[in-house]
Amino acid sequence: MIAKSFNIVLLAVKQLTRHRIRSLLTILGVAAGMFLFATVETMQGSLRRATQTTADDTTLVVYRDNRFCPATSRLPEHYESTIRKIEGVREVIPIQIVVNNCGASLDIIAFRGVPPDSLTKYAPQIQVLDGTVESWKQRSDAALLGRHFAARRGLKVGDRFDAAGVVVHVAGIIDSPEPQDNNVAYVHLPFLQQASRAGLGVVTQFNVRVTSAERLDPVAKEIDEYFRSEQAPTRTRPEKAFFADTAQELVELVGFTRWLGLGAVAAVLGLVANAVLLVVRARVKENAVLQTLGFGQRAIALLVAVEGVLLGLAGGVLGVLSALAFLRWQSITIGNEGVTLAIMPDLDVVLRGLLTAFALGLLASLYPAWQAARRPIVSSLRAV
Amino acid sequence: MSSHESFIRCRGVTKTYHKGNTPVTPLSALDLDVPRGTFLALMGPSGSGKTTLLNLIAGIDSPTSGSLHVGGVDIAKLKRGQLTKWRASHVGYIFQLYHLVPILSAFENVELPLLLAPLSRKERHRQVQVALELVGLGDRSDHRPSELSGGQEQRVAIARAIVANPALLVADEPTGDLDRESATQILNLLRELVREHGKTIVMVTHDPRAAAVADTVLHLEKDRLVEAADLNMQAA
Ligand SMILES: Nc1ncnc2c1ncn2[C@@H]1O[C@H](COP(=O)(O)OP(=O)(O)OP(=O)(O)O)[C@@H](O)[C@H]1O
Ligand SMILES: [Mg+2]
Repeated sequence: MIAKSFNIVLLAVKQLTRHRIRSLLTILGVAAGMFLFATVETMQGSLRRATQTTADDTTLVVYRDNRFCPATSRLPEHYESTIRKIEGVREVIPIQIVVNNCGASLDIIAFRGVPPDSLTKYAPQIQVLDGTVESWKQRSDAALLGRHFAARRGLKVGDRFDAAGVVVHVAGIIDSPEPQDNNVAYVHLPFLQQASRAGLGVVTQFNVRVTSAERLDPVAKEIDEYFRSEQAPTRTRPEKAFFADTAQELVELVGFTRWLGLGAVAAVLGLVANAVLLVVRARVKENAVLQTLGFGQRAIALLVAVEGVLLGLAGGVLGVLSALAFLRWQSITIGNEGVTLAIMPDLDVVLRGLLTAFALGLLASLYPAWQAARRPIVSSLRAV
Repeated sequence: MSSHESFIRCRGVTKTYHKGNTPVTPLSALDLDVPRGTFLALMGPSGSGKTTLLNLIAGIDSPTSGSLHVGGVDIAKLKRGQLTKWRASHVGYIFQLYHLVPILSAFENVELPLLLAPLSRKERHRQVQVALELVGLGDRSDHRPSELSGGQEQRVAIARAIVANPALLVADEPTGDLDRESATQILNLLRELVREHGKTIVMVTHDPRAAAVADTVLHLEKDRLVEAADLNMQAA
């Protein structure tokens, strides 16, 4: 049984490799569709990771109530000491954010100003690839660049650059498992406050780390309650919820790409189905001859289905891997309202892409396989 | 020929096709006996049901009624799946237009019937080589059908028909598309398969010279079989 199926698979492979042009064209078409599918899946996955709070998330973002752009969210820096006293708060870091563009954009430049001594507390996950944190601490206009940011702008240690009216000196390049870190420039808080005309004592937000995930809600409520009647009321949310609310346009945009992914799937399905159907039509006689030789209906159906599945898989591998290579190489980041979304593919997308390609190949060949298997031999032999 | 030793025995075989609402009955209540090891030629005008009869004997179609014993098995009673298994080991079909798979080499074409048999790769390859040598094409294994002459293609098709060692071969106008010389070679080959290898062959032909090679010639006229005594004389 296994040996038989193996021989049939081999025969299908011969059919594909010896009709080279036709197979190649179909595979390229499938690859294009699967490239789109994998890219869309990657965007959806990246967005999901950025917006869905998980059990071990313990960071709150305190923002100015009813404000959505870093330029307009102004909070007094002295709120820090008040927040720090709330029960369950482990760490409070005042942050100034400056972006060149508040709308949804592909080339967003985001500066994050943090107190120099708090950087390692704020972002313990970062690794310095080039330069040092020490040299960054020593220069007031120093910047640590996320590696995607640096790659996109072609910047290296020692360079100066000017963006959004801020001129900085590159003191180091960093890498981080947190995609956002790779797309920002970390600078000193007082420096950024002055450079951005926000002025000393004013920050964009506070990042508050709480002792455990259960403390997120109570602490957030307490903070907002406390500043409710101040001149600058706050709105406090878990980091990922903050992302989802703030980057509304982005979320909608990426959400819309779901339809592109669905379209790609439909196109691949149609393409493979058409290719397999044409093959079956062209091989009516050949399949009848195989049956006179002792091939059963199941063998014929298997032969057709294997061809469809192989077309789907070959195109899937090509499309998914090129999407992977493209997204890794391009390191695409979409920014919106000061938050950035890095479009980073992962293994999950690869597996899902290949599985989808397999399923589409199979689905597309079910009908042609059934059609090929059920044709009476004699009328197929008489067919011209 | 007494019926109990017949290799092929048809009794009251009727075949009716339906073209839309009109039934067509190319064969009705046909009786036929073919002893084992016979080379039978089947002649008759176009549309007389020769191919239909051949398809029934080869088990790629089933009679509407009647019994059809081949090698002791009533294949009229077999279901499509059982017929498939039966065909794989009991019958080889040779077509007028060879019907080789164009993308496969001669070797791979001959190998096809064995792909579903429980054989080791080595044994399978040995059988293919033996069959190709028997038809005189041992040195053409790697050629694609497009690189072979019509006569050579038909010999590959014959190798494919005999590779699983069936006792029965059916051939539908096997020389109909060949020049005289190639046709003679093919007919000699078929003749040899009957004489030396004990095969039973049923061959449809329009060509009296082809029929002359057979042991027996039957004419199918208006769904009746008539023995062609004069042709039989020529053959002897
Ligand atoms: N599958 C089928 N469906 C409908 N009619 C059929 C089918 N097969 C055969 N027939 C009809 O049955 C009759 C006999 O056909 P058959 O092919 O057996 O003739 P034949 O003797 O082989 O003719 P030829 O010498 O032209 O090959 C014809 O009228 C044909 O149209
Ligand atoms: Mg015919």
